Amino acid sequence: MSTFLEPADPAPTAAERLHIAGLHSPSDAVLSVRDLNVSFNSENGAVHAVRGVNFDLMPGKTLGIVGESGSGKSVTSLAIMGLLPATAEISGSVRLKGRELLGLSDKAMCAYRGNDIAMVFQDPLSSLTPVYTVGTQITEALTIHNPGMSKAAKETRAVELLAMVGIPSPRNRLRAFPHEFSGGMRQRVMIAIAIANNPRVLIADEPTTALDVTIQAQVLEVLHTAQEETGAAVVMITHDLGVVAGIADDIMVMYAGKPVETGSVDDIYYDPRMPYTMGLLGAVPRVDVAEKSSLVPIDGIPPNLLHTPTGCSFAPRCPLVTDACLDGEPALSPVPGTGYHQAACIKSASLGGDVDVHEIFSAPPVPVSRFDLIPRGDRSTVLELKDVRKHFPLTKGALLKRRIGTVKAVDGLSFDIREGECFSIVGESGSGKTTTLLEIMEFHKDQDGEVIIGGISNKQAADAKTKSAMRREMQMVFQDPTGALDPRFTVYEVLAEPLQNAGMDKRAIKKRIMELMNLVGLQPDHVNRFPNQFSGGQRQRVGIARALAVNPKLVVLDEPVSALDVSVQAGVINLLDKLRAELGLSYLMVAHDLSVVRHISNRVAVMYLGKIVEIGEVDRVFDNPRHPYTRALLSAIPVPDPQFERTRERIILQGDLPSPLDAPKGCNFATRCPVFAALPAAKQEHCLTLEPPLEAVQPSAAVEILEAGPVPTPDQQFACFFPDGELDEHMLVVHETAEPHAP
Amino acid sequence: MIRYLAKRGITYVFMIFLTTSAGYFLAVSSLKPALLEQERIPRPTPEQVANSMRLKGLDPDLSPWERYVEWLTGIMTRWDWGRSPNGAFINAEFGDRVWISTRLFLASIVLTLVIGVALGVYSAARQYKFQDRVITSYSYLAYIVPAPIAYFLVQLGAININETVGERIFFVTGISTPGMQPGWAQFVDMVAHYAVPTIAITLVGWGSYQIAQRQYLLDNVNADFVRTARAKGLTRNQAITRHALRVSFIPVAQSIAFTIPAIFAGGFFAEKIFAWPGVGSWSIDAISLQDVNAATATLAYGSVIFALGAILADFATTLVDPRVRVQ
Repeated sequence: MSTFLEPADPAPTAAERLHIAGLHSPSDAVLSVRDLNVSFNSENGAVHAVRGVNFDLMPGKTLGIVGESGSGKSVTSLAIMGLLPATAEISGSVRLKGRELLGLSDKAMCAYRGNDIAMVFQDPLSSLTPVYTVGTQITEALTIHNPGMSKAAKETRAVELLAMVGIPSPRNRLRAFPHEFSGGMRQRVMIAIAIANNPRVLIADEPTTALDVTIQAQVLEVLHTAQEETGAAVVMITHDLGVVAGIADDIMVMYAGKPVETGSVDDIYYDPRMPYTMGLLGAVPRVDVAEKSSLVPIDGIPPNLLHTPTGCSFAPRCPLVTDACLDGEPALSPVPGTGYHQAACIKSASLGGDVDVHEIFSAPPVPVSRFDLIPRGDRSTVLELKDVRKHFPLTKGALLKRRIGTVKAVDGLSFDIREGECFSIVGESGSGKTTTLLEIMEFHKDQDGEVIIGGISNKQAADAKTKSAMRREMQMVFQDPTGALDPRFTVYEVLAEPLQNAGMDKRAIKKRIMELMNLVGLQPDHVNRFPNQFSGGQRQRVGIARALAVNPKLVVLDEPVSALDVSVQAGVINLLDKLRAELGLSYLMVAHDLSVVRHISNRVAVMYLGKIVEIGEVDRVFDNPRHPYTRALLSAIPVPDPQFERTRERIILQGDLPSPLDAPKGCNFATRCPVFAALPAAKQEHCLTLEPPLEAVQPSAAVEILEAGPVPTPDQQFACFFPDGELDEHMLVVHETAEPHAP
Repeated sequence: MIRYLAKRGITYVFMIFLTTSAGYFLAVSSLKPALLEQERIPRPTPEQVANSMRLKGLDPDLSPWERYVEWLTGIMTRWDWGRSPNGAFINAEFGDRVWISTRLFLASIVLTLVIGVALGVYSAARQYKFQDRVITSYSYLAYIVPAPIAYFLVQLGAININETVGERIFFVTGISTPGMQPGWAQFVDMVAHYAVPTIAITLVGWGSYQIAQRQYLLDNVNADFVRTARAKGLTRNQAITRHALRVSFIPVAQSIAFTIPAIFAGGFFAEKIFAWPGVGSWSIDAISLQDVNAATATLAYGSVIFALGAILADFATTLVDPRVRVQ
C-alpha cells in the first residue's frame, strides 16, 4: 500500500504520525517524492508547472497520475527522470530506494536511468531513432548498463524481450527498422527497451493515447505482463480515467500543477471529495451505460501558471465556490473517516455520500428533439448512400505505371440518415471512416455509387449551382479546431464568409452572427477576436457556429471532440446535443471514442476495412453486439469503474489492422477474428471463401411467443456467419487476481 | 541497385541530350563569331571570314538545323565536339580545363565539408553560447560577403605575409612556376600555389554547411528519440552524437551531393581571380568570344555533372537513411 503525504506541516497529520510511530516507514517505498516543485522561466516570468507533489510508490504497485493537459503530470515524470532542460528550476526531493536523485549531474543520473528507473513515452512513432534497427536500440539499453555482457547474450536477451512484449518472430524482427513497425508494435518495442534491465520503477507517460482502442488494449496488456515479469512499480500518467481504473492501485489527481486529490483507486472513483475530480468523473461518457443523462460540463479553463494562486486554483471554475475558498490555497488534507484518502478542498467532508454531481455542476437537462416522437420510418431522409465505393489503385514504376493491387478504402457502403438523428461511424484508423466522409463531401457525378444529400443526387451534380445547393444542406466541423480556423480571420470574418457566399446583405449577416454566437454559447462581443485568443473548446464552438451559419440540415462531425480535454469535451458534447434538439439537425459523426459515440448517437455503423460489419440502433449494437469485431471493440474500451474493470473479460485482438492490400477473399475480419480461430476447419473454410452479407438480426422465437405474433425486425444488421460461435480462449483475458482494495 | 542506376542513367542521358541540343540551338542562333572576325586588323573580306569559318566547321551560311546535324554527327561518330573560332580543338582544350578545375577545387571541397559539418555540430552542442555566436556569425558574414571580395582579401593577406617575411612564400595567382625540375622543389612550388586559393575557397565555403548542419541538428536535439536514448541511460551529449547526429546528417548529405558538382562546373570567380584557367572561366570566355562549340560543351559538362550529383544525392540518402528504399 502506498501513501501520500502533504508538504511539511507544523501539526503532524495522521499519515505522518504513522511514520513517526514507525508503522510504515518511507524506506519501504521504492520511489518517494517529497514537495517536488518545478518552474520554468519564460519571457513573461516564472511558470510554476509543478507545485508540491508528494507520493510514495511501493514495490510492484501502480500509481495513476490523472490530469488534463497543462496539469503538470508529464513535467513531474520528467523531473523524476532528470530529463527536464537545464533551465528548469527543480526543488524538493526524489528518492529512489532511499537515494536522492535530485541534484545529480546528467552523468550520475545515467547510472539510474534505464536501469533502476525507466520510462515509456507517449508517441511511439517519434520515440524510436529512425536510422537504427530495433535490435540495435534494444541492445544499446543493455550495453549501457552491462558493459561486460557478451554480444550473443545481448542478442538472446533482446529476442527474449521482444517475445515478452508479444512481437511475432522476434529473432527476425531484430533487424527491422522502426518504420517497418506499426504504432502499436513500436510502443511494444519501447516497453521492451524500458524493461530491458528489470527496472524497479517504470514510468509510462500516456503510453496509449496515440493508439487505436484495440491496440490500446493490447499495449495495456503488455504493460501488465511487463510489470508482472519485472515486479516493477509503475507510475501511469494519463488523462483518461478509464485507462487507469483497471490497473492502478492508487490515484493522484493533478490540477494546475498541484495534486488536488489522492487516494486508493476506489476512493477516487466511488467517493471523490474534490469538486474537480467529481466533475472529471461526470464529464466522461460511459460506453456501458444506456441511460441518457447530460454530461457534467466544467466551465472555464485551467488557470495560468504564471501567477501563484491566492486561493484554491479550481475556485474560478468551481460551482461550490465561497469566499472562504479564495482565502489561501487549501492543502491536501485527509478526508475524515477514510484511510489515506486526501483532498485539497475545504468542503471535502461535506461532499461524501449521495451528492449528485449533475446537480452541483448544474448539468443541463437532456434536450428533447421534436423528431424524437416521430417513428424513424416517417421522417424524411437527409442523406443516403447507395453502394458507394472508393478504390485506390496501387501502382508501381515511375514512367510506366503498372497496377499491382487495389486498396479498397470504401467498399460498397449503403446507409441513410433521417431528420433529427445522429448517425456515427466507428472503427480503427484505416477502416475507411475518413474516406467515407471525403466521398460524401466530394459529391461528383463520376463517383462509384450514389450519394443523395437533401434530395439532390451526386449523379445530377453537373453544375456548380447544384453543388452549392448541396453545400447549404450539409456543413462540416473538423477535428482540429486550431487548424480549421484561419488565424488571420476574426471570428466575425470566419462566420461572415459562408453567409456572404450565400448572398446575404451586410445587416442580415451581422444579425445572424450575433444569433450564432449566442447559439453556441460564446459572448457576442468576442466577434472581433482572433482564434488564438480563444481556448480549444471555444474554438471548436466557433467551428460549430461556422458550420451552422447557413442553416444546414446535416452537419458532418469529423472527430469533433478528440482534440479537447475531458472537462471541455463535455461542454461541446452537450452543446451538440442541444443544437440537434433545438434546430432539428442531423449529424453524421466519425469518432474513435466509442463512449462519446454512444452518448450522442441514435444509430451507429461499425466499419472494418472499408465495409460496414454491423449497423443499427446504438443501444442495440452496444448492449447486444453480434459481430465479433464489434464485441472486441467494445470490450477494449476502458470504463472509469475500477470494480467493473477488474472483473471484466476482455477480447484482445491479435495483431494490427491488416493492410487493405492483403484483404482476404471471404470475410475481411477472419485474420483477427476470435470466433474464427475457435471454429472447426469446415466452418473456417466457409468464412474464408464466402463474404458474409449484412443481415438483420431476427427476433428470437421466445420474444415472438411473448408478443403473440410477429414483432417488427429490430434495427440492427451485422455481417457474420457464426455470431454465436465460441471465442478463442487465447484472446480472452481476465485479471481476476486483482483483489479489491481495502482502505 | 544496378537496375535502379541503369534506369536513372537512361533518364539522365535523355535529359542531357535535350539540354545540350537546346543549348546548341540557342548558341548557334545568337553567337556570331564571324562578326568578331570582321573586326580584325587588317580587316578581312567577308568571303575570307566565311571561308575560314567553313574550314573550322562553323559555316555561318548554313541553317542552324544543318549545323546541328553536322555537329551531332561529329559527336556521335567521332566524339568530336568541334573547334573554336581561333582554330583550337574543343576536345583537347576541354580535357585540360576540367583537370585544372578539379585540381583547384578538390582539396577545398573536402576541407569545406569537414570543417563546415564539424563546426555545425560543435556550435549546435553549444547553442547560444559564446563559441556558437562567434562561429555562426562568421558563417553568416561569409554568406553575405561576395566571393570575389573575400578572395581578394585572402590574397592581400597572403601578400602581407610575404612582405612581412620578406620572401615570397605564397603565390597568389597561377598554377605553377614554369620550368621547375620534378622533385622536392616542384612539390614546394605546388603547395605554395595551392595554399592561397584553397584557403580562400574553404573560408568562404564552409559557412553554408555550418549553418545547415547546426540547424538540422538543433531540430533533432530535442526530438523524442533523443529523449528515449537519454531515458536508456545515455548522457545528453552521448544521446545527441549517437542518435541525433546521424538523423540530422540526412538532409546535409543530400545537399552536399548536389553542391559538389556545381562547384566543379562553376567556380568562375575563383578561376579568374587566382588565374587558374578552368571550366568556369572557359564557359564565360566562350560566350564573349562567340564560341558556339565551347559554350555548348561547357553546358553539356554542366548537365552531366548535375546528373551525377543527383545520382550521388540519391546514393547518399539511401546510405544514411534506411527508410529510403531503392527500387
